[in-house]
Amino acid sequence: MPTLRWQPIASFLLCVYGLGASIYLTITHFEPKALACVSNATFNCEKVTQSPQSEIFGIPVAILGLVFFVPMLLLCLPVAWRTADRRIHLARLVMAVTGVGMIIYLIIAELFLIKAICLWCSSVHIATLLLFIIVATASPIVLAPGYGAADEEPADGDQS
Amino acid sequence: MADKKQNPVTGGNKPKPTGNGGESAKDKSRAASRPVAAKGGGGGKGGNTPRPGKGGTPSAGPKGSRTGAYIAWGAVALVIVVIAGLFIFNATKSKTQDATFTAVTPAPVQVVKDVTTIPMSTWDKVGVTSQAPVAKPTVLSGQPPMTVNHKSPAMLYYGAEYCPYCAAERWAMTAALARFGTWSNLQITASSHTDVDPATHTFSFHGVTFDSPYITFKGIEQYTNQPVGGSTGQYTHLQDPTKEEAAILAKYSSSKFNPNASTSGGISFPFVNINNAALISGASYDPQILAGQSWTDISGGLSDPTNPTTQAILATGNYMSAAICQATHGQPGKVCTSSGVQAAAKALGISAS
Repeated sequence: MPTLRWQPIASFLLCVYGLGASIYLTITHFEPKALACVSNATFNCEKVTQSPQSEIFGIPVAILGLVFFVPMLLLCLPVAWRTADRRIHLARLVMAVTGVGMIIYLIIAELFLIKAICLWCSSVHIATLLLFIIVATASPIVLAPGYGAADEEPADGDQS
Repeated sequence: MADKKQNPVTGGNKPKPTGNGGESAKDKSRAASRPVAAKGGGGGKGGNTPRPGKGGTPSAGPKGSRTGAYIAWGAVALVIVVIAGLFIFNATKSKTQDATFTAVTPAPVQVVKDVTTIPMSTWDKVGVTSQAPVAKPTVLSGQPPMTVNHKSPAMLYYGAEYCPYCAAERWAMTAALARFGTWSNLQITASSHTDVDPATHTFSFHGVTFDSPYITFKGIEQYTNQPVGGSTGQYTHLQDPTKEEAAILAKYSSSKFNPNASTSGGISFPFVNINNAALISGASYDPQILAGQSWTDISGGLSDPTNPTTQAILATGNYMSAAICQATHGQPGKVCTSSGVQAAAKALGISAS
């Protein structure tokens, strides 16, 4: 059975980065002048963060990023990776799939609708994609029968 | 099941150290070979039961795990392919579009004649009245006259061939300056085919000569209208301002003088500075009014004061003329005392004579 080694810490760090970037992008969504970003014909954060596509159903995408990364951060804590509770691992997988679906939409919006690329947003997209890769490839391990039991057995055993 | 028989969970296991991401390889190996039936749930259905692999044998676990790994890596590969495909499609699309741009060519004689010999009566009939909205230049006071290449007064234009707003502004500039001097080597082209107001027909000021006894004109086209391959909206570089011109542009494009200053810190195209006394930042009128019109369509209508396109161009041109007249202290008198220029000067609150 393969084991998890670097995945928990890598995913946790990606979530920390994603959360930080989402907080920054949320601030700059409401305060565009606070946005520090390259601005030329290809890269233009302001054009992206102030575009009609920067909101979905009236909710700024940056806030949706926060809504994604806060629970994802909790789900990617090392202790959450170790748990035998499959619901945690399934929730992480569902979140990761949702996240990658969202970035595909946002990439389409940037490339074909807004026609500008936001470097800050792209860094969050990369973090989300890496997170998906880690979570998806670790899922067969963490969703396998018996995963995490070894760590929790002693306590259970003592109680029984 | 077979696994259950071989694994009493309460086997005297001591708590394991949880370094290395939670478990050691040994721990994981043990966990894999042990069921968790005695854990009493383990968090949902299936957690306590070996996965039904092919035939439901004890070896189904590793097989199932392998299948899961294949599915997982397949999903990852699919996502990467989709994302890479989007970028490749976008790059291919950009390259296809890049192939289309309007080349810069010498302006037809008739177009030059039409735009440089607009009857004074037409200028005056239009004045500053236009069906389409026309923005007034920003008037500055107390600034030293502009000197460009040791010549003063002067007028500076900073734009790009791809820029549709510059395309609109050039018609008015070309017409207005023709009242004060002579154009040579005028070129025609069109704005970007992929930007807003695509392929707006216009002139290019790159390589043109303007001779005037009254005012010096310098036009800078920083970029062509030729897209750079594989990019999203970049164009090949054409021309930079000199240090002297860059200093003027930097000073007067700042928010201290320019209420339309760019928030990102750059200079928005077009930027026109008439002797440090009048500034135009952005298009004075909407380039949309030029949509679908050829160079000859536009120039041919310039003698008709009822033509909406002509009105937008000449009203803008009269504002420019008034600002130039202020710089030239009312020279030439025939232009600066004309009713159209006087109307513009009055609207701007300046003296054109």
